[in-house]
Amino acid sequence: MKTVMKTFAAGMLGVYALVNVTQPTYADDEGLTIQGPPKIAMLYISPRNDGGWTQAFDEARQKLEVQLGQKIQFVENVPESASAIRPVVERLIQRGSNIIIGTAFGYSDTFKDLAAKYPHVAFLNGSGTTNSKNLLSFYGRTYESQYLCGMAAGAVSKTGKLGFVAANPFGQVNWTINAYELGAQQINPKATVTVIYTGAWNDPIKERAATMALIDQGADVIGQHVDSPTPQIVAQERGVYGTGYHRDMREFAPKATVCSSVWVWDRFLAVELKKIMAGHWKPLPQGALLSMQQGGTDIACCSSAVPPADVTKIMAMRTELMEGKKQIYEGPMSDGKGVVQIPVGAVLPDDKLWKMEWFVKGVITQQ
Amino acid sequence: MIISSALVFGLLISALILVAAGVSASDLFNEFVLYTLFDGQSLRAVLFQAAPLIVLGLAGALAFRARFWNLGLEGQMIWGAIAATAVSLFEIGPPSLRLVLMFIAAIIGGLMWALVPVLLKLHLKVNEIISTLMLNYIAVNFLLFLLYGSWKDPRDSFPYSPQFKSFERLPNIFDGVNLAIPIALVIALLVLWFTRISRAGLYLRFVDSSPGVAAAVGVPVQRVILLTVLFSGALAGLAGFMVSAGQEERLTHSFYLGYGFSGILIAFLARNQPIAATVVAVLVATLFVGGRSLQVYYQIPFSMVQLIQAILVICVASSDFFIRYRIRRIQSEA
Repeated sequence: MKTVMKTFAAGMLGVYALVNVTQPTYADDEGLTIQGPPKIAMLYISPRNDGGWTQAFDEARQKLEVQLGQKIQFVENVPESASAIRPVVERLIQRGSNIIIGTAFGYSDTFKDLAAKYPHVAFLNGSGTTNSKNLLSFYGRTYESQYLCGMAAGAVSKTGKLGFVAANPFGQVNWTINAYELGAQQINPKATVTVIYTGAWNDPIKERAATMALIDQGADVIGQHVDSPTPQIVAQERGVYGTGYHRDMREFAPKATVCSSVWVWDRFLAVELKKIMAGHWKPLPQGALLSMQQGGTDIACCSSAVPPADVTKIMAMRTELMEGKKQIYEGPMSDGKGVVQIPVGAVLPDDKLWKMEWFVKGVITQQ
Repeated sequence: MIISSALVFGLLISALILVAAGVSASDLFNEFVLYTLFDGQSLRAVLFQAAPLIVLGLAGALAFRARFWNLGLEGQMIWGAIAATAVSLFEIGPPSLRLVLMFIAAIIGGLMWALVPVLLKLHLKVNEIISTLMLNYIAVNFLLFLLYGSWKDPRDSFPYSPQFKSFERLPNIFDGVNLAIPIALVIALLVLWFTRISRAGLYLRFVDSSPGVAAAVGVPVQRVILLTVLFSGALAGLAGFMVSAGQEERLTHSFYLGYGFSGILIAFLARNQPIAATVVAVLVATLFVGGRSLQVYYQIPFSMVQLIQAILVICVASSDFFIRYRIRRIQSEA
């Protein structure tokens, strides 16, 4: 009897823990209600017409202005250093802004400090890492849209050799590379992805050199997780295909780009900003890692180079992702060395996603 | 005198351009003078920004006085921050001494990175403009190698070092202003002593005016250059410590951006004078902070602030003419 009770208690504890894990909130929290009429301001890390990351935010801003019926202020070129971020945000707050949206990983620490100093101001930060009662960091599950782009790449490749120009080797880049390969395998099971890391988010010169090297090695589709459209432009120059990132890169390489992973921040921000304006806003303590369903990324697909049968497959998969029926990182999954990384029936938890340092079979990296 | 009138002239041209860009003169006065210098919060932001700029301006001024074109302030700053972070990461020394050790480590880090080009110049006559500039790239890439490699934060695998513990950060002297500003002022006095009073400073003046003559009269030219450049590197390293331990509170991948060249700019505008460098650094910080707000409220792009900097530099550079020549009106004899 005693052991039964113990097991029962342990079981209950387990359920309790599970509930706590799946629905964490800050204890005894009424949620945030901003003071005064809502006034939104955005901080951009680059110029608003950078062609990529920042421009995607600026396009979202214009849509949000229409949806929310108010002007949204923005400040361009705010570098990732405390001495630059602080005066901008403090002066915005001083003159009435009470919802501040950042767009850079490097704003994380300063936003955390400022959120503590100004508890009645709502802070949001794209690609940030810090969260609190009035600060929510958000990012997209880019592997979903890159998986679809991988499918498109697999569909247009004749050699089955795909190239990928990546920025820096860590979780949020590695997860797109694996997804790209997994997507390509859906169409062509023998497809491989060869990766070159440039070591920089935005370095057109290195991106050009890396793209040329990949094409010289026989790659006939170039995927990318860097900020500039250079890989697509080079692909077009060399007469091969490519898939873009951040925005629809047909703007820069109309013949080469067959699919692009694009940000759709307005879908997420419209919902979140309305929640903030309604009062009692409760940001998630672990931050918001947005699926396609929640308004993280989507695809701009497909160009006429993709065969219609494959377009149907890609769009069917997009619908599954949009409805939340498909998980990309679902077990069983092993890395290239045969080590099991995700057991049968499990989905890779977010903390392991952020730390992804393994690659599936078919990915060829420098390491 | 001529230089300050050149600066005033430059500021006037800049003001005219801003007025032409749609900011009214009274708004301009409000933004830069009232809201920036007479508002507690903004003044704190200016001082926060000014501290590393003062030290970097002094670092530039010192090296230029030795006729050594140290364009490697950024690289030396990065090594200073790396060395300070290493002390934090490997928990060297007891907590009570940790900050002091980080301070010393940063000085040594910057100094060592300046040692390479100065030895190359003195012994192999390698042009320091090239070598210091190139060493910046090595420093940046080594920084990224650490941050994306073994030094990344184990908590979330993001490319920055783990946050410094509270005793590893520069303490606040009052809300929003930390120890960086007093340190910068002490350094300014130290540099003033070095250049005006110390024996090395006397030698340095000889070297600055004419290295050949200085050597002929028995000044140890090589030693003076070595000492001065190492002092410059040490200060740049210290600036790295100020930004990492005083502002970012960890080692980040972009903390150094723009600082190195601001240091050179400040030294140039101040004509390598330590007191002037301190004043100009505060002016540049005001320009940065005020310029951000122009951007916020008048949609003036930040490149306008960079344009103003350029105008000031050109004005000071062309004032050289008035320093060397006197304009006289010559009346033709009738």
